[in-house]
Amino acid sequence: MRLLSLFALFCWVLFSSVNAYSQEVLQFDNEQQRQLYQQLTAELRCPQCQNQNIADSHAVVSVDMRGKTYQLIREGKSRQQILDYMINRYGDFVHYIPPVNRYTLWLWLLPLLVLLALLVTGIVRRSRQTIGSDAAVQPTSEAELDQLIARYRSKKP
Amino acid sequence: MRKVLFYVPLVAFLALTLFLLSGLFSDPRERESASLNKALPDFALADLMQPKKIWTPEKLKGETYLLNVWGTWCPTCNAELGYLAELRKQGVKIVGLYYELPRDPTFDAPFNLAVLQQDVQQKLTQQGDPYQFNMLDIKRSLSLDLGVSGAPETFIIDANGIVRAHHIGDINPVVWRSKLAPLYQQWRTP
Repeated sequence: MRLLSLFALFCWVLFSSVNAYSQEVLQFDNEQQRQLYQQLTAELRCPQCQNQNIADSHAVVSVDMRGKTYQLIREGKSRQQILDYMINRYGDFVHYIPPVNRYTLWLWLLPLLVLLALLVTGIVRRSRQTIGSDAAVQPTSEAELDQLIARYRSKKP
Repeated sequence: MRKVLFYVPLVAFLALTLFLLSGLFSDPRERESASLNKALPDFALADLMQPKKIWTPEKLKGETYLLNVWGTWCPTCNAELGYLAELRKQGVKIVGLYYELPRDPTFDAPFNLAVLQQDVQQKLTQQGDPYQFNMLDIKRSLSLDLGVSGAPETFIIDANGIVRAHHIGDINPVVWRSKLAPLYQQWRTP
């Protein structure tokens, strides 16, 4: 009996402390808003930390950005409006999906260019090789070859 | 063609090495600021020491100044106070934006202005006071609008209230001389 009450006390201490640490539960108007919030906090990047999204970060600025995202969602703003709001303040850095512009275009273009370069080199080399082997065979006539073989043989003891 | 191809791996290797080497010496926190060359966002913030006084962008126009985001909780900010105070003596106008931390209702005492004022006063007496005045950004709303990611950060605001520079990190003699002083001079004399 004493053990049981001790266990109950232990449970109470454990769960009350868990309660104290748990964050407040956010209320949304509908499921769509909740999903948008989760999507945005996963896609927005903490400007203070290296490579963490704001959902994952305890930095003050992340807490504030989460709060702002929540507020804007509750105000009925669209996904693009909220992204624009954040990018307006923190730059393209803040979104994990970079926009296609003249600086980032290379991210998509470079692999294609490398692939193309490899393909062209491969084709050129292959065609050179066939031409090269033809050129090597043609001028040497059968007779010349026989002569060479004969000379080689005669050298042998 | 063969000879050229022979050198391709070497050149590619050197290019990659240079690229990675430059990464070793670059500052990962450095990024382009989105607030440059834009007007100060709209705000109405209370003066830290005289809370009845409300500062707005309009009231700050007329002179180029540094807007320094700081807090007594931030060790780097405290470290730069001395040098900033020296700059003030040289005639640089510095306005403080006090970056108050959020409070956890479970662990932290509720916000108390008198305690904060005392804390700030003590810090400024100890380290030196660079500020003409401080604005209290209690909800960090102006900081968010300015794209502040933490403290310390410093902006150069020109006489028309346009943001002309955004520096992340502390100000020390090297940073001031090489980066901020030229910009400050440039925007002080229009």
